[in-house]
Amino acid sequence: MLARQRFAMQSIGMESNWAAEHLQVIRTLMERSALYRRALAPIMIFNGVVGLAAAALGWALKVGSPHAFILYWAAVCVVAMTGSFLLVRRQAIKDSEPFWSPPTRRVSQAFLPPLAAGLMIGAVAWVRAGSAPGNLGDSSGMVWLPTLWVVLYGCAFHAAGFFMPRGMKVFGWAFVVGGCGLFAAGVPGGADPLDCAYGVMGLFFGGLHLAYGVYLYFTERRRNET
Amino acid sequence: MNPEPFLQIDRVIHEKGRLAIMSMLAASPELSFTELRDTLGMTDGNVTTHIRTLQEAGYLSVTKSFQNNRPLTTCALTPAGKRAFTHYINLLERIIQQNKPK
Repeated sequence: MLARQRFAMQSIGMESNWAAEHLQVIRTLMERSALYRRALAPIMIFNGVVGLAAAALGWALKVGSPHAFILYWAAVCVVAMTGSFLLVRRQAIKDSEPFWSPPTRRVSQAFLPPLAAGLMIGAVAWVRAGSAPGNLGDSSGMVWLPTLWVVLYGCAFHAAGFFMPRGMKVFGWAFVVGGCGLFAAGVPGGADPLDCAYGVMGLFFGGLHLAYGVYLYFTERRRNET
Repeated sequence: MNPEPFLQIDRVIHEKGRLAIMSMLAASPELSFTELRDTLGMTDGNVTTHIRTLQEAGYLSVTKSFQNNRPLTTCALTPAGKRAFTHYINLLERIIQQNKPK
């Protein structure tokens, strides 16, 4: 009892903002525990390399018809998602953590609606491309779909960013703003729409991922060293 | 100043390391030992000691299992732990209210 009294007297004697500081620390820790942090840099770098390589390969092979273009990028998406899944799983096993952790679940749920929308719009475009060559199959049809995918992907990242480190929301905004800007700009006069479409896919899904992945790699390493 | 809230402070939770563990577990249904250790930057021994203390107080449950043939230790707050943590937060808020200039 005496020890308890002494503890109370010591506590009273502390600074008046002691309790507020304690609450702040608790809030920060609670937020941090709910954040997803697993294998972010490797996933970004992997997706960046896949995006750039796929854009270069598709452009070189002249995968040009709307049908082929959509199928090609759907296959690339499957490769990117499978690789990301394996990277997350490897990290979870290495760190002796459950794969389907609450932050992983929250991030997956946030990603799902915009990615599903992108998939469904891609599927609708694929179905309609054959029957409406004057609509989706014309020159602008090769660019509006990638820009829409870019915007939806940005929305997905922004939503997931609420459960990830702060930079992810900015990364999502870069996609949204960039995609809308490209949509407004359209295909520059004289430019080949197919080149533009591969350029958009390579720049956003390749270049942006790679750049952010390299940034994350170095900042995470610096944080680990300190 | 009214010393009552200070007298009610749970000293098991009040320790810095244990409070950090309780705070993290309050925001997640469960966390693995390595997640706690890495996020809080503690040593294995430190985390083990704090977890044991919290477990003995009945605030924390520990589950040991295997994932891909590797041991996986997960921790979660018990209902008593959730109650104690809520009570601790309420006490801090009372102390803040008490210290506010009128």
